[in-house]
Amino acid sequence: MERSWWWKAALYGLVTVIAVLYLIPTVVPEDKQPAFIQKHFQKRIQLGLDLQGGLHLVYEVNVDKAVAGKVDRLASDIEDRLHKDKGVNDLGVNREGRDDIILTFKPPSDETKLDDTILKDYRKALDIVSRDATTGVVVLRLDPDQVEEVRDYALRQGIETIRGRVDKFGVAEPTIIKKGTDIIVELPGLKPADFERIKSIIGRTAQLEFKIVDDGTDYMKRVAGSVPKGQGIDVVPESWTEKDSGKPHEDVYLRSKSRDTLQKFFAGLTGDLALPPDHEIGYEEIQGRNENGEATPDRYWRTYFLHKRAALTGEYLSNADQTWDQQTGRPEVSFEFDRQGAAISERMTGDNIGRKMAILLDDKINSAPVIEGRIGARGRITLGGFGDPFALQQEAKDLVAVLRSGALPAPLRKTFETQVGPTMGRDAVQKAKFSMYIGAAAVVLFMLIYYRLSGIIAVVAMILNMLYMVAILAGFEASLTLPGIAGLVLTIGMAVDANIIIYERIREELRLGKSVRTAVDAGFARAFWTVFDAHVTNFVAGVVLYSYGSGPIRGFAVTLLVGIVTNLFTSYWLSHWMFDGVVGRRGAARATLSI
Amino acid sequence: MAAQGNTKSQQKFFEIIKPGSNYEFIGNEKYWIGLSIVLVTLTIVMLPLNAYVFKSRGHMLNWGVDFRGGSEILIEFSKPVDAGEVRKTLADAGFPDADVVKYADPTGQHPYNYMVRVGAVSVVSEQQAKQIRESLAKEGEATLKHLDWSEGGDKIYLRYDRPVDTASLTNSLKAVGINTTQVQTFGRAEDNTYEVTLVGLDSEIRRALDARLGAGAVAAIPQVESVGAKAGKQLQFDGARSLLYAILLIMVYIAFRFDLRYGPGTVVALLHDAVIVIGAFAVTYKEFSLTTVAAVLTIIGYSMNDTVVVFDRIRENAARLRDRRFDRVVNQSINETLSRTIWTSATVFFVTLAMNVFGVGVIRDFAFAMNVGVIVGTYSSIFIASPILIWLNEKFAATQRRQQSGRNQRRGGGRRDELEPEEP
Repeated sequence: MERSWWWKAALYGLVTVIAVLYLIPTVVPEDKQPAFIQKHFQKRIQLGLDLQGGLHLVYEVNVDKAVAGKVDRLASDIEDRLHKDKGVNDLGVNREGRDDIILTFKPPSDETKLDDTILKDYRKALDIVSRDATTGVVVLRLDPDQVEEVRDYALRQGIETIRGRVDKFGVAEPTIIKKGTDIIVELPGLKPADFERIKSIIGRTAQLEFKIVDDGTDYMKRVAGSVPKGQGIDVVPESWTEKDSGKPHEDVYLRSKSRDTLQKFFAGLTGDLALPPDHEIGYEEIQGRNENGEATPDRYWRTYFLHKRAALTGEYLSNADQTWDQQTGRPEVSFEFDRQGAAISERMTGDNIGRKMAILLDDKINSAPVIEGRIGARGRITLGGFGDPFALQQEAKDLVAVLRSGALPAPLRKTFETQVGPTMGRDAVQKAKFSMYIGAAAVVLFMLIYYRLSGIIAVVAMILNMLYMVAILAGFEASLTLPGIAGLVLTIGMAVDANIIIYERIREELRLGKSVRTAVDAGFARAFWTVFDAHVTNFVAGVVLYSYGSGPIRGFAVTLLVGIVTNLFTSYWLSHWMFDGVVGRRGAARATLSI
Repeated sequence: MAAQGNTKSQQKFFEIIKPGSNYEFIGNEKYWIGLSIVLVTLTIVMLPLNAYVFKSRGHMLNWGVDFRGGSEILIEFSKPVDAGEVRKTLADAGFPDADVVKYADPTGQHPYNYMVRVGAVSVVSEQQAKQIRESLAKEGEATLKHLDWSEGGDKIYLRYDRPVDTASLTNSLKAVGINTTQVQTFGRAEDNTYEVTLVGLDSEIRRALDARLGAGAVAAIPQVESVGAKAGKQLQFDGARSLLYAILLIMVYIAFRFDLRYGPGTVVALLHDAVIVIGAFAVTYKEFSLTTVAAVLTIIGYSMNDTVVVFDRIRENAARLRDRRFDRVVNQSINETLSRTIWTSATVFFVTLAMNVFGVGVIRDFAFAMNVGVIVGTYSSIFIASPILIWLNEKFAATQRRQQSGRNQRRGGGRRDELEPEEP
C-alpha cells in the first residue's frame, strides 16, 4: 500500500470521527451522552416548524402610515413654531396624501412669516413645493430621502418590537427576519393553545397613556342628573382627601354592568350635555362591593372624565417589570420612565396633586390612582382583571413584554399564516422515515446486485454521505423540514449517481482490455469532469431555490446543497480511496474486479 | 502495474444494457420530437381548458393556497359529518366558495378530518369592505375619510374627520356582519383613527360549525394556513422568475464549460422538462404549491445531470472520431452512455417512487413531480438536447464552410464533425 493511501486513511478517518461527534447530540438522548460531548458539542438539528408544530406568520408593515405620522408631527411642529415665534394665530394646517403639508395663512400676507429662521430647521426634512403669496398657501413635501429613512426605521423598529415581545414570551427558537417590507416570524414548537395569545401579543398596538382625571367639574354632575332610571346605569358619588393638605375631593361617576350601555349613553348626549371636545370618557372595569366593602363577584364598568390630551405616553418608558403588590399580594406591573419622561411626569404630577391619574392601555383604563405626591421615574399598573392569580400573573407578564418592547411604530398587517399542530408533524416524520428506508433499501439492493463487491463501496460511500450531511446540518443548527426530509431522501437516490457514472466508465475501460489498476484510475480520471459538471448544475439550481424559497423550501434547499457537496466528496474521492485499497492490496497481480 | 494491459480481460459484468448496443436514437428523432411537441402542446392546451372549460376545475392549475391566496384549514371533527353540510354551514357563515374535502389521515386515528379551503384570508371580504365603506361612511356626525383594509389583514383602520365612539363603531360593524375583538383609537387623538381587531378566521369558522353541528363538533383545528392574495401573486411571480434564473445560470455554466453550441440544446431540454411536469399537474389537477416549484427547480438541476453525462461523452468522442459524421458520433455517444443514463435515473426514480407511495402531504406531491421529472429529464437529454446540438453544429459548420469557400473552393466532406475538441 502506498504511503499516501495511509495519509488519506488518517484524514478520512478524522473527518468521520468529527462527523460522528457532531451527530451525537442529535441522535443520542441527552441523558446518555458522554460528558465531553455535552460540553463541546451542543449543536443539533432542530425540527422545522412543519415537523414540530408551531406558528409561521408574515406581517406587512404599513410603512405609509409611519410616513404620514412623521409628516403630521412635522406639521404640528411648524404650527407651534409659527405660533410661538411669529405670532401667527390663524393658520390652516392639513396633510394631503401621504407626504404633503398644506399651510393656509390668514391673512395671506402672513405667508412671509414662514421665513428662513424657521425653514432652516426643516431644510433636510421638507421640500417646498409651492408658495403663493396672494392666497397664502404653502405646500411642503417630505423629502424622498426622509421617506426612505422613515420607512426603514419603521421596519427596523417593527422587527425589534416583535422580537422583544416574542423573546419575553419564551419561545425556544424564534426566527424574526425582514423580507422586503414584510416581517416573517417563525415560532417552532409553540403549543396550539398559545397561538391566539401570541398572535394578539405580537399584533397588540400597546399604546400606554397617562391622562389626568378632571374631577369635581359641574359637567359630570349635570350628566349625573340627566341619567334616566331603569337603564342599568348607577350614579355613584365618590370622595377622597389629599394626604398632605387634607383637602377634600368630591366627584361622581357612572357605573354599569355593560360598557356598551355607558358608551351609548354618552354618545346620545347633545347640546349642553355634549362631551366637551377637549375631554373624553375613560372606562375601567371594577369589582362590585357590598355594603361592608367586601368584594362581590359582580363586575362593573365605571367612567372617568378625562382630559383628552395625553400628558405622558409609553414612548418615555425605559423599563417595566412584573412585581407584586405589597398589600394585596396580587401581581402588578411596575415601570420606569427615561429622563425626559421622568421630567414630564414630575411636572404633570406636581401640578395635579390630589387628582387622579388614569393609566390607559390600548384605550382601557387599567387603574386611576390618586396622585399623592410628585411621581418621578417610577410608576405601577395594577391589573384590572379578576382571574385566578396564575392568570393574572400571566397577564402581567404579557403586559411587561409589550411595554418593554414599546408601541408598534406602524400598524402591522398579517398577510400569511401557518399553524401546525405537533401531531401532524409526527405522522409526517414517520411516513417520511419509512419511505426513506424503502428507497434506501431499493438503491442498496440494486447496487449490490448490479455491481457486486464494488456496489459495497458505493453503499459505504452513500452511508458516509448521509453521516457527513447530517453532521454538517447539525453543525449549522439547521432546521429539518418536511421538504428537507425529501431532500435527504432524494440525496440517497442521487448519491449513487456519481458511483454509477464512474463504474460504467471503469467497465468500459476494462472491456478495452486494460488492467484493473489502470482501468480504475482511468475510470475515475475520465469521469471526474462529468461528475463535477453534474454536481455543479444541481448546485446552481439549489442556490436559486435557496434564494427563492422561504421556510420549509429553504430547508429543502439547504439539505440539497449540503448533500451535493458531501456527495462529491464521498462518491468521488472517498470511493476512489476505497478502490485504491481494494485494488492496491493485491497490487498489479489482480486480474479481475468485481464491478 | 500495466503488466496485463495487453491481455484481454475475461471479466463478465452483470449487465442489462449490453455494451456495443447500437440503438438508432438520432435517425428517428422526428418521431420523438413530434411526441414532445404533442406533450408540450397538450400542456399549453390543458391550462386554459382547466380554467375555462372544465367547470369543476376553474383554474389553470390547482394552485395551492400559497399561490391562490386564501386559507386552508384542517378540521378534526369529533363525529362523522357530511361534507355537504359543512359546505352549507360555511356558505351561510359568509364563505360561499368553501372547498371541503375529506382528508385521509394516514394513521387512522382521526377518521373525521376535513380539509377546508376558503378564498378568504381574513373574515372581511372585499365585498364587506365595500359595505363598510358605504354603511359606515357616516358615524354620528363624523364622516369616514379613509378605510385601510387589506385582504390578508387581521385588522382594519378607519379614519374619521372627527372623534367617534368606539362602542357605536363596534355595533355598526356588527350590523354589517363583522365580529370584532377590539376597537380602539390608534395613533394620536387628533388623527381620529380607529383600529379594529377582527375575530380570527379559524375561530369564526369553528364557531359557525359548532353552532350548526352541536357544541364540541369540532374537536381540533390542527393546521391553518392562510396567504393574502397579494403575497400569493408575489410568490407566483417569484417562482416563475426563479425558474428563469435557474435555467439562465445553468446555460451560462454549460456555455462556459462546453461551448456555445451546447447551451441552447440544454436550455430547450430544461424548458421542455419544466413545461411537461407542469402539464402533468394540469392534467391530474394535483395541487400546485410552493413545494411543486421546488420540485421543478430540483428537476431542472437534475435533468442537467443526464444531459451533461451525454454531452461530455459527445465532446470526448467528437475529439477522438474526427472523421465520423457528427450525428453518428452523437448516436454512438448516447449508446455508450445509455447504461449510465438509465441507471442513474433509475436509482433516483426508486427513491422518489417510494416517497410517492408511502409519503404524506407535500412529500407526496414533491415525489410525484420528481417521478415525472426524472422520466422526462432522461428522455429530453437524449431526444431533445442532442438533436438540437446536431442541428446547431450543422448551422455552425455551414457558416464556417461559407467563410472558407470564399478563400478556398474546396468543399468539406458533407455532414462531418466540425467540432473542435476543447479541453476541460
